[in-house]
Amino acid sequence: MFKLSKESEDFVKKELSRYEAKYSAIIPSLFRVQKDHGWVPPEAVSVLAKLMEIPEAHINEVLYFYTMFNKRPVGKIHAQVCCNISCAMNGGRELADALCKSFNVQDGVMSADGKITVSRVECLGSCDTAPMMQVNDRYIENLTPELAVRKLKEMGA
Amino acid sequence: MPKIKINGNEVEVPQGSTIIQAFKATGVEICHYCWHPGLSVAGVCRLCMVQIEGMPKLQIACNTEVKEGMVINNTSDVVKETVRWGLDFHLINHPLDCPICDQAGECGLQDQYMKFGQYDPEMAENKVKKHKVVDLGPTVVLDSERCILCSRCVRFTDEVSKTNELGIFNRGDRCEIGTVAGKPLANNYSLNTVDICPVGALTSKDFRFRQRVWYLKEADSICPGCSTGCNVKVNYNEEGLWRIRPRENKEVNGHWMCDVGRDSYKFVNLKNRLVAGKVGQRGSWQEVTATDAARSAGLKLRETVAQHGPDSVALVVTGQYTNEEYHRLFTFFTVNLESNNIFHWMNNPETTKDFDGLLFRGDRNPNTKGVVDALGSFALKAKWEDLQSQLSSRKIKVVVVAGPENQAVFPDMTEKITFFAQAESMIWLTAGQSEALNQTGAETWQIPLKTYIEKSGSFTNVQGKVQTFKVGTTIVAQAFTLSEVVELFSGQELNWNLRPHSLGGVKTNYSIANRGAL
Ligand code: SF4
Ligand code: SF4
Ligand code: FES
Ligand code: FES
Repeated sequence: MFKLSKESEDFVKKELSRYEAKYSAIIPSLFRVQKDHGWVPPEAVSVLAKLMEIPEAHINEVLYFYTMFNKRPVGKIHAQVCCNISCAMNGGRELADALCKSFNVQDGVMSADGKITVSRVECLGSCDTAPMMQVNDRYIENLTPELAVRKLKEMGA
Repeated sequence: MPKIKINGNEVEVPQGSTIIQAFKATGVEICHYCWHPGLSVAGVCRLCMVQIEGMPKLQIACNTEVKEGMVINNTSDVVKETVRWGLDFHLINHPLDCPICDQAGECGLQDQYMKFGQYDPEMAENKVKKHKVVDLGPTVVLDSERCILCSRCVRFTDEVSKTNELGIFNRGDRCEIGTVAGKPLANNYSLNTVDICPVGALTSKDFRFRQRVWYLKEADSICPGCSTGCNVKVNYNEEGLWRIRPRENKEVNGHWMCDVGRDSYKFVNLKNRLVAGKVGQRGSWQEVTATDAARSAGLKLRETVAQHGPDSVALVVTGQYTNEEYHRLFTFFTVNLESNNIFHWMNNPETTKDFDGLLFRGDRNPNTKGVVDALGSFALKAKWEDLQSQLSSRKIKVVVVAGPENQAVFPDMTEKITFFAQAESMIWLTAGQSEALNQTGAETWQIPLKTYIEKSGSFTNVQGKVQTFKVGTTIVAQAFTLSEVVELFSGQELNWNLRPHSLGGVKTNYSIANRGAL
């Protein structure tokens, strides 16, 4: 059973009072859950829906729109490879495929040892340094497959 | 009221109208998907483009208010070109499977393409694959590939049914309609989403693959499902009725109707109907024509009154007949037979006052108000207890029952039939077949009646609004209205030359019947 910690519950309540429309509090609340748990389990959506008095469907709409929210558990190292326009044109998709292959994982699925997840994501706002990826909280830019693999290995993948 | 010009014609529209409302009010055609008069404005399909003099760019008509002196058109080349491209974009990932799509023939995409599109498609991209045949709930099936993401269904569950089941999930060309974690779309208004879905994305489990819509005819009617009296249109062909959909009436049902009401075509069809007269008892019936049954029943009625006086007969009515029929029947009883023994059979007194806040009411009769008013205007005050005592004391020899045509909403059918059968004879007027009649010992006449779709008349709904309706089609040619029965009861004749033909009844086409299953 998913349970929201007391602090997180207070956080959500505070967010709710901050905005004119309570829908605005969905994103910060989902991020909070993700920070606590590493990902956003479906039960969390039900809990938030009750707490925020927003239909589950509308929270899910936000959750599923953004690639930044993890809908499944992710590995210790989460490599989010941008495959949006600028990056795609500079080899982002090939980069994602190469990473999946060298770490023997599928797009968005955590490796069996829980070390790494490689997922394709939408634009991360760093188009000028395409192709790029975000590893946990860090941007790594101007990548080639070799460089990306090396960086990830250095980080312990 | 601002004066504006639409495509060169000056018109006046109410203050605060949007441009699309002005177009609709004046009957000028405009391409659109996402706007619906009963829902909020979403402005997502971008097809209702218009050109407004003085504005550099095209605007969407559904989200732009009219202002005094606006000069608007949707016929210039730039508008036409924009709409054409808009349609082309809507079809980038559309599977174009019209031949196997149940919406074909009444599809927004087909209609708008023929009116505003007619281009050669320029999209050569691979189509995005999505889910087909998604079981959304007990009534609705979703085909995600056909969905154009107009959000009408989502707005419906948010704003009208207020059940919030639906949402649009994922992003960009992978967007899909769905429910949360496979929860069903289950509310008593769910099938309205099928009506407002402009394409074949949402289809009705009850209707899909049963008929091609261009083979169906349409007639206006009133839903007999409850005392709200939603305005509806009925689709039928030579086999019978196939579906009921709502018809707009701002004062009664807006644009909607409930799912329960949509089933009220079923009891009308031939296989549930009494098709001829029956005379007998304890399940041994002699089949006679409806006319003969009515004639001999009338004779019995008149003889009984002559022998034992007017109090030896009684009439029981349900709230399922028209005002005109009540009037005719009550006149016959009170004037010709001089009997005031007229009783109102209430099927569900406990739930009669229930209301779900939207449309559906606990009084599952279309004309309870009508029968109560008619009883009042004839100053009839007989109580149900009187009937009880007079039946058990054998004072009443013949009881005439105008039973329900929608039997499913009378949970007390069997019990009441046994109760009435305490009389020596029972004249049972009904559209449907009733199993319970086979068990009783009273000498019984069964006389087939017409259902709401086969006659003209009026129902008074719970608000006191008298709503008239006309004959749509005829399922059982022999069946009578109550007024016709009264003619025969009193020894008159009906003009048989004027009577219509029966319909053939539903034939099962196995290939499509099986395909319809999920
Ligand atoms: S399912 Fe139909 S009504 Fe709902 S968004 Fe798609 S096209 Fe619109
Ligand atoms: S609310 Fe009543 S009248 Fe309206 S559709 Fe439903 S059953 Fe019929
Ligand atoms: S497209 Fe990759 S960061 Fe913008
Ligand atoms: S009808 Fe105006 S944008 Fe869809």
